[in-house]
Amino acid sequence: MAQEDISFTDFIASSIHDMKNSLNMQISSLEKIAVKSQEQGDTPTFEQLGVMIYEANRMNANLIQLLTIYKFGKTIYPMDVAEQSVCELIEEAILQDKSIMDFKGISVSIECEEDCYWYFDRDLVTGILINALNNAYKYTSNKIRVAAKIDGRFLEIRIEDNGQGYPAGMLQNDSVSKNKGINFSSGSTGLGFYFSSRVAAMHKNGTDQGSLIIENGGLYGGGCFVVRLP
Amino acid sequence: MTVSLPQSSILIIDDFQGMRTMLRDFVKSMGVTKIDTAATSKEAINLLSTHKYDVVICDYNLGPGQNGQQILEEAKLRKYIGHASIWVMVTAEKTMDMFMGAAETKPDDYLLKPINAALLESRLQKMIAKKQSLDGIEKAVNDKDYITAITLCDQKLQEQPANLQEILRIKSDLLLTVGNHEAARALFEKILGVRKVPWAKTGLGKVYYLTRDYSRAKEIFQEVLEENKMYLEASDWLAKTLDAIGERVQAQQVLVNAMELSPNSAGRHKSLADAAYKNGDLEVAQTAYEKTIKLSEHSVHKSPDVYAKLAKVLTDKDVPDEALKILDRGRQEFKGNAEAAIQASVIESLAYQKMGQPQKAAAAIAEAEKKMADLPGMISVETAMDMAKSLFHLGKKDEACDMLQSIVKNNHENAGIISQVEAVFEGEHLGEEGRGLIKASTQEVIGINNQGVMLAREGKFDESVSLLRKAVEMLPNSEVMIMNLCGMIIGLMKKQGRNEAMMHEAKSLIDRARELNPNNKKLYDYEAALK
Repeated sequence: MAQEDISFTDFIASSIHDMKNSLNMQISSLEKIAVKSQEQGDTPTFEQLGVMIYEANRMNANLIQLLTIYKFGKTIYPMDVAEQSVCELIEEAILQDKSIMDFKGISVSIECEEDCYWYFDRDLVTGILINALNNAYKYTSNKIRVAAKIDGRFLEIRIEDNGQGYPAGMLQNDSVSKNKGINFSSGSTGLGFYFSSRVAAMHKNGTDQGSLIIENGGLYGGGCFVVRLP
Repeated sequence: MTVSLPQSSILIIDDFQGMRTMLRDFVKSMGVTKIDTAATSKEAINLLSTHKYDVVICDYNLGPGQNGQQILEEAKLRKYIGHASIWVMVTAEKTMDMFMGAAETKPDDYLLKPINAALLESRLQKMIAKKQSLDGIEKAVNDKDYITAITLCDQKLQEQPANLQEILRIKSDLLLTVGNHEAARALFEKILGVRKVPWAKTGLGKVYYLTRDYSRAKEIFQEVLEENKMYLEASDWLAKTLDAIGERVQAQQVLVNAMELSPNSAGRHKSLADAAYKNGDLEVAQTAYEKTIKLSEHSVHKSPDVYAKLAKVLTDKDVPDEALKILDRGRQEFKGNAEAAIQASVIESLAYQKMGQPQKAAAAIAEAEKKMADLPGMISVETAMDMAKSLFHLGKKDEACDMLQSIVKNNHENAGIISQVEAVFEGEHLGEEGRGLIKASTQEVIGINNQGVMLAREGKFDESVSLLRKAVEMLPNSEVMIMNLCGMIIGLMKKQGRNEAMMHEAKSLIDRARELNPNNKKLYDYEAALK
């Protein structure tokens, strides 16, 4: 391919592709070592590896979100809203984060009817759930609950944990659609929230539009991450 | 696929050593023992051509050479994989080309990296279950037994399955394939009554297009694109619709816009090239045909037609020597394809005329005629028209007129083709004579048809059948004649009882008619009558 044929998008995409291959292998190798250390009863190593895998997963999630947001801007994201099984969506998102949850001894429960189907872009909404699970992982004590149900014209998915809940500053606006700004001390760039509320809002049906809310309370009294899709 | 996951044979295609090892470890942990791996598209094709795989896990991005989609297309085209095998595409990101391309060949599923063993296993198990539940339908589709496939869909739908939408989608596609437009419209409207999903709305647009209600089709495709401009299937159909109503410049623009979003669809490049050629935009047509050839090298879109069309563009651009080179390349690529050879000789004669070498032009036409004698009626209308043009230039007016009359007889109810024939006559300043010939040819065909119908009315089906058989022999491309003969045979069998020879004849007539026009409304009725 001639030099001038390579567009910036291709360049970002191929670099991210490369980075994700590396991350994928890194995570997979770390998981193998972790299993070994667990078998040998080396708990400190096991726990440390858990942290490493969590961070690698976060890096991966960030890469996907950055690339996707870039594509939204260029309107080259192939948004594909189709009817999907909500249970399958949740199960798969949890499977992706299964190893880190196991490391930290977090139990994740699902509440969703088997025959619950809804319309959304599978990959984008998986991205929202992974982001929510990564957050909950950080703040929970040991329990996370993912509950989904159809509420009138909307599908509501709640990710709740039994941690301390969101700090008051983050809850000032009822919607998280506004950029919360970058806070280097807490490691929060606002990317995850920005991505999630953007994706939620991209789901439309007639005059209805998706939204994202964070609140405290729920069944466990901790943080609640609530996404509603029309 | 009837085997369970541990029993299945799996091929892993990835250019990255580490990923191959990782994926192999994953499937090993699921109990799979028959595992092959390939690092390049070449290795993959070699393995696919010599082994049967139940599951293929293929990375989309394989560096230089074919990408995963192209390997899939080649494997399907060459029947290395059947309807029962599962193809999973692995990708780092979702691209337009992958999801919104005009690809007729789609993987069964895709997985976004990173992948872990648990997720991969969960997906593979689900796909195996899905294949099993759809096995009968997919087999019927594969055997082109669409009526059975529709019946099976209806049976499944009565069970209220979890994948209801998927079966509705398959059924609606089948209804369009067999030309049952009324049922297709009702189905799409029912689905849209619940939710405005773009595939169903696009489907409704297709129904309007196929029933020639172009203004409504246009409106619907435009609406789909307003709601989701990334739904490129609607773009492709909008372009077809605009072309049908003569808004060719807009059609070209719609394709250019779609191309910006998804630049690697061979089918779309070909549509753009065709549109640009009709608009006289030779530069765009040339580039787009060249791109089509490059992109379709190993796919279902690979066709000698594209080489011939590119050669025509080059001839029109006054570079006939370039045209000859392309025709040679096409001949190399499609050795043994007689239809392609005829087409190439015809364009070659046009190129030689442009070069001022009438003797070589005449020799090329003679070559085409010789081959045509062995293959009566199997050339496309476009090739026949080019041939007539070339014959006119060589001063062989009678032969040219015969050629054009034969086109008219084979397509006497097709207004578009008749007006093109008229334009060829006009171009030779033979407008009036041409119109006379067109009228005479049309009346000849109508006469035979009327006679056939009359005989049938008098109950003389066997006489009618033998009359129309002769007519079909003379007019092997006449959709109308073929369908009428088929109808008569069905009538005759109703009277005399069925027999195998006539069943076979009727079925092959339906196949031939479908090749000529898959949207003929009678296809469905006749096919159902033969069940």
